Amino acid sequence: MELFLQQLPVVIGALNTGFIQTLKLFTVTLLGAFPLGLLIAFGSISKIKIISITTKFLIWVIRGTPLMIQLLIFYYFPGLVFQNPIWGGGEQGRFLAASLAFVVNYSCYFSEIYRGGIQSVPVGQQEAGLVLGMTKRQIFFHVTLLQMIKRIVPPISNEIITLVKDTALARIIALQEIIWAGQAFMKGSYGISGAIWPLFFTAFYYLIFNGIVTVMLAAFEKKLEYFR
Amino acid sequence: MAILDVKNIRKKFGNTEVLKGINFSLEEGNVLSIIGSSGSGKTTLLRCLNFLETPDEGQIIVKGETLFDASEPPNKKSQREKLIRQKRLHFGLVFQSFNLFPQYTALENVMLAPKLTAKEKNTYEAEKANIENRAKELFSQIGLSDRMNNYPHQLSGGQQQRVAIARALILQPDILCFDEPTSALDPELTGEVLKVIKKLSERNMTMIIVTHEMEFARDVSSRVIFMDNGEVCEQGDPRELFSNPKHERTKQFLSRYFVQSSN
Amino acid sequence: MKKFLLMLVLVLVTFLFGSFAFAESDFEYVKGKGVLVVGITDFAPMDYKNEKGEWIGFDADLAKAFAESLGVKIEFQEIEWDNKILELNGKNIDCVWNGMTLTAEVLASMECSKPYCNNAQVVVVPAKEAEKYKTLESLKDLTFAVENGSAGDQQAEAHKFKKTQVHDQASALMEVASGSSGGAIIDSLMAAAMVGEGTGYENLTYTVALNSEEYGVGFRKGSDMAEALNKFFEKGYADGSIQKLAETYKIQAALIK
Repeated sequence: MELFLQQLPVVIGALNTGFIQTLKLFTVTLLGAFPLGLLIAFGSISKIKIISITTKFLIWVIRGTPLMIQLLIFYYFPGLVFQNPIWGGGEQGRFLAASLAFVVNYSCYFSEIYRGGIQSVPVGQQEAGLVLGMTKRQIFFHVTLLQMIKRIVPPISNEIITLVKDTALARIIALQEIIWAGQAFMKGSYGISGAIWPLFFTAFYYLIFNGIVTVMLAAFEKKLEYFR
Repeated sequence: MAILDVKNIRKKFGNTEVLKGINFSLEEGNVLSIIGSSGSGKTTLLRCLNFLETPDEGQIIVKGETLFDASEPPNKKSQREKLIRQKRLHFGLVFQSFNLFPQYTALENVMLAPKLTAKEKNTYEAEKANIENRAKELFSQIGLSDRMNNYPHQLSGGQQQRVAIARALILQPDILCFDEPTSALDPELTGEVLKVIKKLSERNMTMIIVTHEMEFARDVSSRVIFMDNGEVCEQGDPRELFSNPKHERTKQFLSRYFVQSSN
Repeated sequence: MKKFLLMLVLVLVTFLFGSFAFAESDFEYVKGKGVLVVGITDFAPMDYKNEKGEWIGFDADLAKAFAESLGVKIEFQEIEWDNKILELNGKNIDCVWNGMTLTAEVLASMECSKPYCNNAQVVVVPAKEAEKYKTLESLKDLTFAVENGSAGDQQAEAHKFKKTQVHDQASALMEVASGSSGGAIIDSLMAAAMVGEGTGYENLTYTVALNSEEYGVGFRKGSDMAEALNKFFEKGYADGSIQKLAETYKIQAALIK
């Protein structure tokens, strides 16, 4: 017990550092994937064949392969294939590569949810906008968008909660997120070796963070309940 | 001079010819009712006038200006959308299913289009009060001043349709079109909508009404067109057409309604 | 699964680009960018963090001295051990210096320094059962936890032991501590630092040594850095600095002189 109390501050400190990486990756992924997903969604419903086919191909490839291998490819390919390690070996580069892989991956999943959302808004809404002399852009931003958002909040919430946990995959390219930090104590750093509990302790971080995310999403969903 | 001339409008969907050369004209301040069975092409005609469909042939002329001529080569795409937007504003359209924007209050629904137009021109600040006053004036005309801060789902179908009419009116169209404005309503709610339309006709609003309400069409119209199978089968003065139809198909069609209503 | 994915990437890469050619020598490349990036894992007593979070250990300290002798800065980068060859060839790191056993696989895919440290693969069992497992013969009934693809894994293979492959050596120890596996096969240097009294695994101990092997430092295939390091080692042996360092981390018995 005394040993535990001695180790606790050290462990919490290291886990916090790891968790900040997890949080950063989570935030960057959402900030990037929300708009990029919309762009991809527009691409996939574009009337221009070449754009819609290319976009659908991209979505097929990204959704059809594991995120883990996408991380490996994004990070290692530039150095291995082109002899040009654009990311560099440091933590910063690993974070950028992981962010790129996560943003691209989640954009494709989001885009399909967006597409369903856009297509589920009745066509009469668009026509009403058109006969009122609105541009397509105005119709999208002032009429369709909010109705689409209302419809996609539940499936997007699901993806967001999955993302919280998916960030752990980034350790495959040695991004030192919270699970990596937890495992370090099994290996003998900070004068602590063979401590297993920190690894399991990381679960609380995920649980609490997901609790906060869930509450926020539920509040957002409630906010959109004022219309039907 | 006629405010609207429609010449030889044709429209095909795939191999089905829905409009087979429609011709009519409309004088300013008049009300034209279009009747006919479902699938006769009435709605498609209205959609063509509002540029929701592009006719394959024909011309649409408003106040002597040719808004649409199928024989002209299409302009560049960006230009086309801009032009269509302007041309569209000669017409207003009220839908069968209202199509109010659910996320806005009744007042916001009515104000949205003029507000966006003003914002485009960077004159919103100056026009804001004016737009709001016009909208409120319209709400008093449709008798819904007390409901303008309600959301569409808090209004009855009849109330929603009245808001939709106000939404079209605020853009001050030359010609207001109605696509079966009461077909989606419970029978007891149709009266309040028809009353609003009737009031508009008394103020000499030029209107085209596609409807199944024969008695209403007879009372309010200055002219009636009976469409059948994509063609104008018979047209004329409402009293004349309803009491003394010339064409066999008109007789058949009308007999269904007036037998029903006399029951 | 992970191994399979890695293989796939490797095969793909080798297929596309048969060989890696250096435009300049690796030595010049490292000097040019002014920093030596050392790929490591958390592995006491070779590379681990002190209370302040700085990297120390026999390998870490030696690497610092080597970088200083080259006049370049040093950067330690933790890597996923499975990806060490990818990291090296992708130029994300410049060497693997982390108590790396010179297995046939390592020798084939990296340019390695001369061996500098002896190691053995040892059997780790719960202390209270240590008496039962003193001979090779007695180990036949145990199921061993081994790090996937490690030297310990190869020893289990060679002796036809039952085995469970896990992610790393630390996980292998956790298997024994939790009772999931009867024993583990890990590096003797690691066992000395992490198992027994005064460590996190007080209830474990190590018994039989299965082989003897050697640690080396790995560079990119064809790199002239390996030769530079060999020269640095020679100097270090001559002036006794390496011996002193080994004593600091209590591995002098394993040092190759």
